[in-house]
Amino acid sequence: MKLNLTALSVVLIAGVSYGLYQLSYEVQQLEKDLARLDQGIVDNKENIRILKAEWTYQNRPDVLQAMASKYLPLLLIAPYQVASLDALPSVSAPEPTENVPLPRLNPRRHYAPPVDIPKGGIRLATFASRGTPQ
Amino acid sequence: MSGLAWFSKSQRPRINLTTPFGLRSPDLPRHALRLDGSAKETLEQGRNRLVIAGVVFAFCFVILAGRLIGLAISGIGTGDDTIAETSDTPPVVAGTGVRAEIRDRNGVILATTLNTASLFAVPKKVIDPKELAAKLTTVLGDLSEATILSKLASARNFIWLKRNLTPIQQYKINALGIPGLYFRQEEKRFYPMGSLVSHLVGFTDIDNNGIAGIEKSFDAQLSGSDDVAPRDVTLSVDVRIQHALRDELARHMSMFSAIGAAGMVLDVKTGEILGMVSLPDFDPNRPGDFSPDSKFNRVTLGVYEMGSTFKTFTAAMALDDGTVSLNGGYDATKPIHVAGFRIHDDHPKKRWLSVPEIYMYSSNIGAAKMADDVGPKMHRAFLAKLGMLDKPGLEIPEVGAPILPPRWNSLETMTISFGHGLSVSPLQLSAGIAAIVDGGIYINPTVIRRDKDSVLVEHRVISTKTSDTMRRLMRLVVEKGTGGKAEAAGYLVGGKTGTAEKAEGGRYKRNALIASFVSAFPMNKPRYVVLALLDEPKGTPETHGFRSAGWTAAPIVSRLVERIAPILGVEPVDEDSDAIKRAMFVPINSREKKLATF
Repeated sequence: MKLNLTALSVVLIAGVSYGLYQLSYEVQQLEKDLARLDQGIVDNKENIRILKAEWTYQNRPDVLQAMASKYLPLLLIAPYQVASLDALPSVSAPEPTENVPLPRLNPRRHYAPPVDIPKGGIRLATFASRGTPQ
Repeated sequence: MSGLAWFSKSQRPRINLTTPFGLRSPDLPRHALRLDGSAKETLEQGRNRLVIAGVVFAFCFVILAGRLIGLAISGIGTGDDTIAETSDTPPVVAGTGVRAEIRDRNGVILATTLNTASLFAVPKKVIDPKELAAKLTTVLGDLSEATILSKLASARNFIWLKRNLTPIQQYKINALGIPGLYFRQEEKRFYPMGSLVSHLVGFTDIDNNGIAGIEKSFDAQLSGSDDVAPRDVTLSVDVRIQHALRDELARHMSMFSAIGAAGMVLDVKTGEILGMVSLPDFDPNRPGDFSPDSKFNRVTLGVYEMGSTFKTFTAAMALDDGTVSLNGGYDATKPIHVAGFRIHDDHPKKRWLSVPEIYMYSSNIGAAKMADDVGPKMHRAFLAKLGMLDKPGLEIPEVGAPILPPRWNSLETMTISFGHGLSVSPLQLSAGIAAIVDGGIYINPTVIRRDKDSVLVEHRVISTKTSDTMRRLMRLVVEKGTGGKAEAAGYLVGGKTGTAEKAEGGRYKRNALIASFVSAFPMNKPRYVVLALLDEPKGTPETHGFRSAGWTAAPIVSRLVERIAPILGVEPVDEDSDAIKRAMFVPINSREKKLATF
């Protein structure tokens, strides 16, 4: 009994002290991590500060103006170009157009190839002399 | 145990020997411990002492063990050193002590602090100063070898060679590998916008103490203290408007070969200054390279006799006081001779002029008579209400006080009525005009952004009705009068020209003018006051040699309004529409003899 108690207390003390030291080391490590993270945050903030300053410097209005006048075909806004949404006329949806079916092609006839029409042109359903739908 | 020493070997008390761990061996003879007398007592005493000591030690160890277990399980102490949960300070106070930023109203950085490396030398550790100087000048071109050598020759242990290096310079110096050179991290104030907002933001000395502008007046807030963290300052200026203003002023300044220019955009509803430019200006990143003249803020520190722009105040005063109605007028046939002075018109009409005519043709005679009717006392009180007689309260240190006449009698009232004899800063003029056009309420101008719900310190100067009349009159000047070149289609600009001769040494210089144009837009519902001022403009062939404000300063406003109105969200209106025409109508009531039309 006495032996068991002694053994138990030795094991307990060993276990507890192991736990305590483990905890202590863990805390030390965490504190180191925290300090490192804090330093990292400080460094990052400094870098952000530098990058923001750089960004602002690169976006100076006179630089932007010089670039805009060089690369963009823009002029000063004329009064007639400014309008609010309310001032715009309301555009109704286009009315559905009814499609007239073209006559079916005669499979036995040779048709001339369709002629290219200029852009925006309208192809009308007409009949050529030989009855070719153009 | 010393009591045992005198026993002979055979008489010694015998102790029953047992094997370890209590296992009794059967072949060992059983002995008993026989003790009595003083020996027994001694032994008993010793044993008792041992037990007591043991108990004390055991007690200590039990406590230790208990504490050990407690620590191992809970992991915290008795609670004295626990951290309060509601902590005011943020967990990471990064960059404490770093001077805070100055921003414009949209958050664009105007001044920030960067960490830079500064180069110093320890002369004792330098092996070959000549070689060092020769190598160093290859990287730092602005330092001469002689300067470096003379610096190294001193007996001190620490010598700055160059402060605030760029990262590239630092890298190159590191690459040179010269012993005896060291870097130290230092904070450097950086102004990304360069000279754009130089006069307003100001600058700091090498140790980052603000010595001009906002940097000086908000030094405590920007740098913070041990208890207070540094806080950013948000200004009311908008860099886009500031740039447009500076761009137009600089262009016209060189066009008319002026020696200086000043401009300002002021929000009449809040008193916020959206743009404030004084030319020539300087780069706050290297203020030492610029002359004192370029650091002079013409908008706030410079005071000028503003000329005819003051007729706005004269007309407002007379109309508000009721000494003359809009239909009334004064005879401007002949110049006024008073106390040895002759008051005459630049463009004499030589006839009776109604009040709108006096204003639109900028008649000095008319204005002088108008002010004289009101009287010097009233005149002075009225200008005081408009803030013309006191040093204006603005958040920068460079604010000039107006120069008042030594006495204020009839003559002074007459000259001040058309802007001579009283010198005010362009800032005061703009604030006064803002009060005239914005329903007659004076708001103290500011360079710090005002939030929507902030309380404005304001007081009434003229009635709403007079303010409305004045708006129409100012519009009339641009529509039909001297300020035609200030017209910006759609934005209903109204204003007043002012051309004054510069006073120097008690005399007026004929060849040196201050040409100014103060305006507001849109005139049916004024939102912004725009002021442009040119110092000593010269005439050009395009202006037919004229250098008066209508030719030189008014076009600046026209261009500027066209540029900034879309940014400010002012909607253009149709000037020919009936509603606008009605809103801007003013009866001129001219008695000009028109040629009969047959």
